[in-house]
Amino acid sequence: MSNNFDPYRLVQKVLNLVEEKNINIKCSEAYLSMDEYLNVDIEENSIKYSKLGVENGISVRIFDKKGACGFAFTNKFQNKYLENMVQKAIKLMKGATPDIDFKNLPKKHKNYPNIKNIYDKNIKALEVEDASRYIEDLIEVCRNDKSAISQSADFKTNCSEVFILNSNGIDISRKETICSISSYIIAKDQETKETSFGYDWQAVRNIEELNAKKVAQNALKKAKRNLKRKRVRKMRVPLVLTPQGAISLILRPLSLAINAETFQYKRSFLVGHRGEKIGSKLMNIEDNGVIDGATGSSICDDEGIPNKNKKIIEKGKFLKYGLLHNSYTAAKEGIESTGNALRSSYSSPPGIGVNNFIFLSGDSFKQDIIKEISRGILLDYTGDSPNISTGDFSGLILQGNLIKNGEITHPLNETMVGINLFDLFNNISAVSKESKTYGKYSAPYIKVDNVNVIGSAP
Amino acid sequence: MDLIEELKIFDDELIERLEKLSRNKLDYWDIRTAIKTGVTVEFTDNKSKELSTYQKENCGIRTFYNGGWGFLSIEDISRKSIELGFEKAIKLAILSESQTSTNYKIKERDPITYDFQLETKKDLENVDISDKIELVKNHEQIANQYNSQIKNTHSLYYDSITKNLFINSFGSKIYQKEPISRLFCVVYAQKNGLIQKSVNSIGGFGGFEVHDTQKAKNISLKSAKEAIELLDAKSPKGGKFTIIMDPELTGTFIHEAFGHAVEADHILNKESILVGRIGEKVALEEVTITDDPRIGIVRKTNLPYELFGSYMFDDEGVPSQKTKIIENGILKNYLHSLETASRMNENPNGHGRASSVSSYPQVRMGITVLNPGDWKLEDMIGEIKDGIFCESFQYGYTDPASGNFQFKCKLSYQIENGEKTKMMRDVSLSGMTLEILNKITAIGKEVDYSDGMCGKGGQRVRVCDGGPYIRVEDVTIGGLN
Repeated sequence: MSNNFDPYRLVQKVLNLVEEKNINIKCSEAYLSMDEYLNVDIEENSIKYSKLGVENGISVRIFDKKGACGFAFTNKFQNKYLENMVQKAIKLMKGATPDIDFKNLPKKHKNYPNIKNIYDKNIKALEVEDASRYIEDLIEVCRNDKSAISQSADFKTNCSEVFILNSNGIDISRKETICSISSYIIAKDQETKETSFGYDWQAVRNIEELNAKKVAQNALKKAKRNLKRKRVRKMRVPLVLTPQGAISLILRPLSLAINAETFQYKRSFLVGHRGEKIGSKLMNIEDNGVIDGATGSSICDDEGIPNKNKKIIEKGKFLKYGLLHNSYTAAKEGIESTGNALRSSYSSPPGIGVNNFIFLSGDSFKQDIIKEISRGILLDYTGDSPNISTGDFSGLILQGNLIKNGEITHPLNETMVGINLFDLFNNISAVSKESKTYGKYSAPYIKVDNVNVIGSAP
Repeated sequence: MDLIEELKIFDDELIERLEKLSRNKLDYWDIRTAIKTGVTVEFTDNKSKELSTYQKENCGIRTFYNGGWGFLSIEDISRKSIELGFEKAIKLAILSESQTSTNYKIKERDPITYDFQLETKKDLENVDISDKIELVKNHEQIANQYNSQIKNTHSLYYDSITKNLFINSFGSKIYQKEPISRLFCVVYAQKNGLIQKSVNSIGGFGGFEVHDTQKAKNISLKSAKEAIELLDAKSPKGGKFTIIMDPELTGTFIHEAFGHAVEADHILNKESILVGRIGEKVALEEVTITDDPRIGIVRKTNLPYELFGSYMFDDEGVPSQKTKIIENGILKNYLHSLETASRMNENPNGHGRASSVSSYPQVRMGITVLNPGDWKLEDMIGEIKDGIFCESFQYGYTDPASGNFQFKCKLSYQIENGEKTKMMRDVSLSGMTLEILNKITAIGKEVDYSDGMCGKGGQRVRVCDGGPYIRVEDVTIGGLN
């Protein structure tokens, strides 16, 4: 990239090109993002790749007066490419169908939240050499344990800048950093020769919060906890979800089910339940985009609308306005966008996604929850996810243990759980004080009563 | 080689300069450059949702020294930025090497010069965007009009043409023009509050003609029909059953539950149930499994287009080829990249693949197939008293270290006294991979293929799976009840 690269001038230039075409349009938007990243990959518990890269690009959305839309993007910034991009978007707009549900792109906003600690200048200044202390921590945990036979892991950082400009006066840019560590450890039982994996990860905005050692230790602990697996019999017992288990069984599916687009197309199992009680009174969920230092926090979403905190479920009641919107889905309901427009990069038009999606902590201690169970199941990981349109879940427990007389005992082989999410929500009987954050999701330990566990032991 | 304008900078002068820069510093390097254009047409409920087009250029520079790899991804394809990037990438390899404990060399190979341009009837570049819009519109209409219980339809078409240049330190220079396209039709039907969904897709390596085939023309109707039928389908009772898997499910099982376990990087990383088992009997004698990414290109499939997973050279410049994975029940070969082959003292077999030039190659499958046997489908079913006929793959997952897997079928039928009867939904199969390979009791005559995008380590590459109908005994079936 040449030194006189001026992203702000480029987004302006694109909107000017649209205007110069002098065609009958309603509104247009230019979006530019610049990403710079650094990755170090570990395989076989040894450094394999050091990787650096950039990803820069620009896109344009153009709407005519009837809501027909064309979209185009490029990663080439010379005039001829920008000109070509605008021409193509106009051509596509002309081929698109009218859309009476489209009202307008967002209007100018004055007040953006002030969020601390979402940009870490130390990440921007990081050299590949600086990654080695995190890498050494990861490698050491695996090397020092006899039963750990291998590790795949990575260390990643990313600095991003986004510029959004639209013809209605949105004119905003934001700068963020993120870094993460993941560890996947294989452990082998010395006697039975059985192997298992354990996986853990951490993503943060500021590099000083990264704890490589802890991530690898957790992965190792999970791998070892899953050795000497046994089949169990069919039973109806309490299920304890770890934070990771709660994210995959409750938070992720819920975040999809309250996505206003899914909802409006009636693909969500929650359709028809707005304003109703759908779960136990211990169930409190919010999507908070303004927490200092959190990986899902930003000053604005990917259409330039300010972030905020949204209550979704309160004491088991699915709030009437508990959906996540971008400007399009919000206009369809005649309300303001919730600031949840999300693009995977400059190359896609905005969809809808969570900011920081949180199952609020309760007042039980994790230890006490387990202690009171005479027979039950601890579920940490299933490769499966519930069916969003029916709420049905039936999945294999890939990491889970039998709870017996208040203690976590042997792991499980070929054991499945089957439940509908409404039953799961209603049967929540305890929520822990302790909670854990994985990227944009945070959850406590959650106890669910009366769950059907399908074991394959005779 | 007569290269397109944007790639002309990769001339002898630049290559010589790179050779000089790497001398005494690197054991190996390669550079991949892609000029890519593409179109997306997405409709929902007969309305256009996303109509988009793009133009991109990317370049990935990969460097290697004594076990350490460096990788640099850039977007500005000029002589100057490539030289600067190359120097940076050399430092990255040296840095990796200084910290690695796995030291090895890449085995030298003969240089290859090749210019691969697929012959197509309807070049994607020459098909006007309005025809692509029309295609999607038609499928939307077909699905929407099928039945009043259809509440939401969603159709997505995407295509891309990648002009790909590969050069490496062996002296290879390979140009490949890769046109691909894919169409998805998703239909949601609703009755008494119950929602059911069906998805079908068709993809091809080649021109727009793939969408003229009967199979392609039928996919919206198929999705609509299945979504409606699923509304009245029953949930299965759990237990152990004899099952029939259709070709799509067979192919996906071979790919997901077994194929990933023979990727040599998983073997080296001890993440597979097949570590150290070459030459051992791992399946019944009737079982032969191969991977052949060229099977489509030479039209051995009798299809009027090339299979979606086809490729001539992998992303390390190795020609794709037929690899026997299991032959008559014996595990014969793993799938290799340059690295794994060098380290395991084997020949690379063309499975070093990357999702784009901005990512480095990993060991990946291409077109993985369970070879046919000699059973007729009706004879396979005829012998079953109480079983399940499982059709189409919805999704599934495997724990590679233990072999535990679970798969969900899109739709299934009960088999009663040798007859296919009531339709069922949400049938899931689970078990241990190798146990299944040893419980096959009949393998059908004809192979069919399905296409997909396979994910691994954050990268997605196009693949195909294939197989015939098979019969498997004693499989654990689960459902909600």
